[in-house]
Amino acid sequence: MFNIKPSISDLLHSSVRSILKNKSRTILTSLGIIIGVTSVILLTSIGNGLSIYIDQQFESLGTNTIFIAPGKIFNDNGGFNQSGGGGRLITTSFTEKNINDLKRGLKGYTIVPVSILMADIKSNTITKKNMTIAGSTYQYATAMNNIPSSGNGRVFTPEEESKKSNVIVLGSKIASDLFPSGNGLGKKIIIKGKTFKVVGINDKKGSSFGGPDTDSQSYIPIGIAHDLSGNQNIQEMLIKTPTKEDVEPAKKIVTNILLKVYDKDAFTVFDSSQLLSSINSIISTLTVALTGIAAISLIVGGIGIMNIMLVTVTERTREIGLRKAIGAYPRAILLQFLFEAVILSAIGGLIGILLGTLGTLAINNFFPARITIQSITLAFGVSSLVGVIFGVAPARRASKLSPIEALRYE
Amino acid sequence: MKLSSSKLNSNLPIVLELVDVVKSYTSGNTTFNALDGVSLKIYKGEFISITGPSGSGKSTLMHIIGLLDNPSSGQVLLEGQNISHLKETEMAKIRNVTLGFVFQQFNLLAKTSAVENVTLPLLYSDIPKSKHQALAVEMLTKVNLQDKLKNTPAQLSGGQQQRVAIARALINDPKIILADEPTGNLDSKSGKEIMALFHHLHENEGRTIVLVTHDLELAKQAQRIIIIKDGKIS
Repeated sequence: MFNIKPSISDLLHSSVRSILKNKSRTILTSLGIIIGVTSVILLTSIGNGLSIYIDQQFESLGTNTIFIAPGKIFNDNGGFNQSGGGGRLITTSFTEKNINDLKRGLKGYTIVPVSILMADIKSNTITKKNMTIAGSTYQYATAMNNIPSSGNGRVFTPEEESKKSNVIVLGSKIASDLFPSGNGLGKKIIIKGKTFKVVGINDKKGSSFGGPDTDSQSYIPIGIAHDLSGNQNIQEMLIKTPTKEDVEPAKKIVTNILLKVYDKDAFTVFDSSQLLSSINSIISTLTVALTGIAAISLIVGGIGIMNIMLVTVTERTREIGLRKAIGAYPRAILLQFLFEAVILSAIGGLIGILLGTLGTLAINNFFPARITIQSITLAFGVSSLVGVIFGVAPARRASKLSPIEALRYE
Repeated sequence: MKLSSSKLNSNLPIVLELVDVVKSYTSGNTTFNALDGVSLKIYKGEFISITGPSGSGKSTLMHIIGLLDNPSSGQVLLEGQNISHLKETEMAKIRNVTLGFVFQQFNLLAKTSAVENVTLPLLYSDIPKSKHQALAVEMLTKVNLQDKLKNTPAQLSGGQQQRVAIARALINDPKIILADEPTGNLDSKSGKEIMALFHHLHENEGRTIVLVTHDLELAKQAQRIIIIKDGKIS
């Protein structure tokens, strides 16, 4: 049967040698592949880094928290609902009665109502317009895993909550915006004409994509929030379950309780893992789309290689003739030129991997980016494949040259 | 020095025989016979030359003898076996073990050492790689280039380059050495050296040599001259 002559090592040797004979041409020829592989690696690294970053953000929220929000947030495939509101019966808020129903159904669980208020916040010198202020219970900080670290004050107490004390816990960003010259702890701020005392400042969390920007958000006792907004609405409910395993059964109970009052599309019960998988599915779709676009440059690079290989075959017509005369059979010539094309594109692939890796490290300084072994393997595999695909035509042309014509070629 | 062909016939085996070989080319409706019924026997150990004016069919005959081309009709017998209509891959295999080519243009690989140029035919042969280097050194010693093993063609004179090419032609121990105007690109001194080398290989090693040249004076140095004209041996 077919045994390879020259041997693979001889083929490699002669291909590498003829590629090295013309270094600048090699680099220019590989440029398309280099750019393609670099961008594929960078894009997948960014996509991957982003999703790792979001995972960490959600982990910090805690995995045993159930969120209940009005409207239909997810579609049936796990993605976000496109039509926004959804069904006929849209609630924009829950009521005190819902809270009490849930408390009855889920004894021993922490149930936290959240009433969202948009208002200006003023310090002595600075006004921040239209800030998000969450009115909630003292348990909100625990449920959101967002308790001021020592030295940054505290959350408000159950007494302050029931007495409707004018106390506020500021997000780290709004705190530094309002008090740029120093710590705002213990200072006074004004919301809708009422003076509040800053009792705590939350740690910096960073905004998570899709999640609330907790750094810009402040929170106050829910009673005051209701007084300020003039209604008793509850926009969101949080339930903290004792363990992660309690999440799924609790979600069922919550759903059943709320279905007695609302249409099934009027509310959404979800936990952070569900939100996470939805966001990740968006990121991976985006990554695939962008990578696909970048991969087009690999095809362009392949055409460049085909072009230069055709030139090479013409340049080396006499060599091909000689090799055939002294016993090279067509397939040996085909393999020789195919090897050259593959090595050319593999060199491009390797340089691209190097640049992509360096680029990822550079980007990671200001944007989450993490390289994956899969993207490296894929990029190298695809670039070699491009070499095979675009190397076949020139190599076939070389192998089909007649030795007589080739030897006569000037 | 010249031997008559009848004397050769009697006691030497035939290496290659052409029987009524026709090679025709068609262009449009006209068919042109480059070779028009050529019969020829090449005996083992013979030094023959093929000569004729350009357009005589000399090159076509050389391609047939060199197994680079198939005849349109007639037979080519290699040691009695008909090889007229083999596939390209099989032809390549036979060329690899049977023939040694020497060209007017030397056809050495540029930027490649003498040793590597000489081992080139072995890449396509069954001879194990471990023996390549030693064989190449042996052949280069035979052509008196033992101190130029690592030199590339650019570092060698024309005569030396042609000697590398002859070493390359010898490395597979060929049945026939086919030399196509081997002195055509050389000055007269180097040309004489190359011819002397062919005579040496013929007389001392018993090599079968086919010299193709348009130069009648050169052709006369062979034992037997084949003159070809209008596609026929005259």
